Amino acid sequence: MLSLTSVTKRFGALTAVDGISLDLARGEFFGLLGPNGAGKSTTMALIAGLTAPDAGTLTLDGQPLTARHAATRTALGLVPQHLALYPELNAVENLRIFGELYGLHGADLRTRIAAALEAVQLADRAKEPVKNFSGGMQRRLNLVAALLHRPKLLLCDEPTVGVDPQSRNAIFDYLEQLNREGLTIIYSTHYMEEATRLCSRIGIIDHGRLHALGTLDELLTRLPFEEEIRFPATPATIDFAAQLAAHGELTVEDDVRRFRPHPAFPLSAFYALAESHALPGRLFTMQRPTLEAVFLHLTGRTLRE
Amino acid sequence: MHPIFVLLRKDLVNFRRNRAAVILTFVVPFTMIWLFGVIFGVNKKDSGPSGIPLAVVNASSSPAAQKLIETLRTEKSFRLITTFTNPDKTQRLLTEADLRPLMEAPGADFRFALVIPADLISPEKLGLHFKLLSNPRNEIETQTVNGILQKTVFMQVPQLLGQSLQARAKAHLGESRFNEFNHTIASTVARTYGGDPAVIEQHIASGDFTFAADGSASSTAAKPGASSSTSSPFAQLINFETVQVVGANVKSPFATSIVGGWAIQFLLFALSASATGLFRERDAGLFQRLLAAPVTRAHILWSKFLYGVVLGGIQLATLFMAGHFLFGIDIFGHLGLLILVCLFAAGACTAFGMLLAACAPNAEAAQGLATLSIMLMSALGGAWFPITLMPVFIQQFSKFTLVYWSMEGFSAVLWAGQSFVQLLPILAILGGMTALVMAVAVWRFNRGRLFG
Repeated sequence: MLSLTSVTKRFGALTAVDGISLDLARGEFFGLLGPNGAGKSTTMALIAGLTAPDAGTLTLDGQPLTARHAATRTALGLVPQHLALYPELNAVENLRIFGELYGLHGADLRTRIAAALEAVQLADRAKEPVKNFSGGMQRRLNLVAALLHRPKLLLCDEPTVGVDPQSRNAIFDYLEQLNREGLTIIYSTHYMEEATRLCSRIGIIDHGRLHALGTLDELLTRLPFEEEIRFPATPATIDFAAQLAAHGELTVEDDVRRFRPHPAFPLSAFYALAESHALPGRLFTMQRPTLEAVFLHLTGRTLRE
Repeated sequence: MHPIFVLLRKDLVNFRRNRAAVILTFVVPFTMIWLFGVIFGVNKKDSGPSGIPLAVVNASSSPAAQKLIETLRTEKSFRLITTFTNPDKTQRLLTEADLRPLMEAPGADFRFALVIPADLISPEKLGLHFKLLSNPRNEIETQTVNGILQKTVFMQVPQLLGQSLQARAKAHLGESRFNEFNHTIASTVARTYGGDPAVIEQHIASGDFTFAADGSASSTAAKPGASSSTSSPFAQLINFETVQVVGANVKSPFATSIVGGWAIQFLLFALSASATGLFRERDAGLFQRLLAAPVTRAHILWSKFLYGVVLGGIQLATLFMAGHFLFGIDIFGHLGLLILVCLFAAGACTAFGMLLAACAPNAEAAQGLATLSIMLMSALGGAWFPITLMPVFIQQFSKFTLVYWSMEGFSAVLWAGQSFVQLLPILAILGGMTALVMAVAVWRFNRGRLFG
């Protein structure tokens, strides 16, 4: 459905997007995960046709996305990172403007507006100026404003920034429902929990480059360990830790030692070594690897840096 | 609906919802126009300052001096103070010695004082001698007081000077030759303008040159506010025939001549503010959403231009309507052409606002730039004072401002009552300015950071 081939975008000396290639199938829920300044928003802007690439091609169903064809425009829906709404206008008026810009009008538009407001639980506030809405309510309206024209591909650029947990869950539920109904979604975020919960496939982006691409399980296999074992950094564990270092990656953080064993070092060997140091099994907790660990492994920095 | 009209309607609804913007666009200019009108006494025959405190000390025993004081009392520009209140609440006449301490005291009751000396009229001196003490706050105030005093002395009480001349002539010529001289003049006047030579000679001998042609004492000096009468023979010696070639039939001349300048200034401020709204929309991410839709930069810019023209046209029409109801400006006699000029002026002002938004890096810079250029254009364009008061080389710059040509347009319609064909050159210049400025603005928008 969507295809990016060696797409590059530069702003002066800064290469914001560096040779990204990506293919998206219809119905995917694709996550673009990376810290601030990684190139997520620029990638979104390129897909949305807001800026032209310096190199590479972008196509949607075979049509070039850089060309400003109405057909490709109407196939896209963009949820900007900012609350792109007119605060003095009420919810219905805001939606009417964005609907009309996509050629909707009359009873059809009114029906779609009513359904959209119902879907994000704003029907009872329909005639209220948007400036009176809470941040979460504005975010929900910001989302449905991109959906009135029923796009094939929805681009969500960090759509939950500054949102309370309740509204965030409402947005997640709605997006999941839309995806189940067949909508293809690209979701950029720097929250690994969001990508983990929502996305069927995730691309890890940093410094404009796509470092990894795959499902959560596929990304986790990129790690040189299958689990992380944590135990207290006490004097009793010093000798044990020294011997472990030869069998995997060992780090210390906040009085906790984290050990990520090499694949050749099985758990049975780990526990045998612990027993030899008279360390009881209750000292150890097993942690399944996360996207955070994948990101750290691939880029050498955390998502919040 | 075409995207431009969707965006235009959005801007208009947005404007209507923004109470502060509505007040700034319509209510504030309306109030300012009313206020300026009241301050400057638009359409009032007795416009000008009133009630300026003026202390008067009269040391002269001449009846003419007393007459001067009475005339000054009737002059609405002044509030005369002639007495001093003692600590025991008793009052006495002011003396010259009282004046300086009173004027130098903080919060003084008056800042101007006229002293009529004891030798106001003297055979030893030619003319009149007054002393004016002042503690002026500004040059205009001093000039105003001086001007009104001189007008009162020389136009309302000419016999003061007449008495002085008569006294000096009598001293030099001697009684006999003096009487013969007056008799000859009276005979000549009577032959030329009619009247009784004996009565006329009496008037001349008393220094009163304001008598009527028939010799009766219809002195205009006794009628404050009245214009110089042509019935006085001496007034007929020099006679200006004033013919107003253009605008003679305009109902409210003063208001009609200046309301265009006020209106165009307010319009510039309103449209500059709305153009800087482009930055707010950019910062809110709205351009991202719009440009992701089937909307182009051109749609956004031209919708803003149309919005400016519509809003500006409405604002100008509203202000002229205010001028009609407050000051009687005749707009309905030229409504069609006036609306046309309003739209062309609004187009030029909108283009100017768009250029500011295109050149400035952010809203704050655009607003600063707008304030500076609007003040400059208003001054140069003649919105504040007639450009003929400016140096000639500055007058050349006036013709490069849209304020000048907008005012020319309003003047052509409301003052000169020109036809559509006569108006065409001005409309062409305003239209040309709009096209040129918009072309530069669009070029800058496409290379600037607004849509980046």
